[in-house]
Amino acid sequence: MSSPAISDAQLIARVLVQDDRHAFSELVRRHQSTVRACLRKLTCGNAALADDLAQETFLLAYRNLKSFRQEAKFSTWLYRIAYNAFLADARKTKESALADDVEPESDEHYSEPAPAARAATLKIDLERAMAVLSDDERAAIVQCYHNDLSHEEAARVLGCPVGTVKTHVFRAKQKLKARLGAWAPTES
Amino acid sequence: MSKDAQQTASDDWLEQALRADAREHLSVYLPDDGFTARVVSRLPQPALPAWRRPVLALLWVVAGIAIAAALPTWFDEVFGSVAALVLHRFTLSDAAVALTLLFAATSGALVLAARAD
Repeated sequence: MSSPAISDAQLIARVLVQDDRHAFSELVRRHQSTVRACLRKLTCGNAALADDLAQETFLLAYRNLKSFRQEAKFSTWLYRIAYNAFLADARKTKESALADDVEPESDEHYSEPAPAARAATLKIDLERAMAVLSDDERAAIVQCYHNDLSHEEAARVLGCPVGTVKTHVFRAKQKLKARLGAWAPTES
Repeated sequence: MSKDAQQTASDDWLEQALRADAREHLSVYLPDDGFTARVVSRLPQPALPAWRRPVLALLWVVAGIAIAAALPTWFDEVFGSVAALVLHRFTLSDAAVALTLLFAATSGALVLAARAD
């Protein structure tokens, strides 16, 4: 993908100074995929909910654009708004209990599949296992791995200390290991 | 294999799985499919420019003065009628007429009620 001719900062300036909606729509077009994909991960694949939250995210971003300081990347700021929108919705709908209904696959499922099939199956199982994590733990994994943020950036997005992010990641991995135990390499 | 080495190996496969999932996540581009248009259509209406509010208020004041200046007789008539009504002194004959009308209205209502029964 080629780098855009106009930077995010320039587009933001146009929105702030001239209320340029075309500039804002360009910002949305640039970041919609990453924000929607991030929210899909956070909502365990619920595409409709993720898109609703993504719309809320961009509307909030438009209203609060004045408060955006150029210290962090615009995408990081958007992730933070998206995460807050997700948290607000999760509190409202109390859907986190849903995750407990997911049962681990039986061991027979993992018996010597072909490498491609094995990778695909692991991916599906990983997505299911992600649903078992708490909202905070899943958010920490999504920010640190899927959004490729450093622990410091993830801490800014999640609004918590760096140590807490590390703890969430550690606990999340422990839970994932327990859920995906059948995928662990066997001792010879 | 030592316990630490086993732990590292145990971490590696999960780390690799997470990295692979993340790589796929980052490489996928979700098509817009009207998403941007939906967001833009929900943006709040643009606020009036700062200079328009005082100008609009000034226009209303000018219009009010113009109407008041154009219709002086209408104002005179309205205020004259209101003043006459307020300053009117009631006489004994006015009271007698009012009482008679009240009595007639009450009697008529009673007769209508009796017929209805």
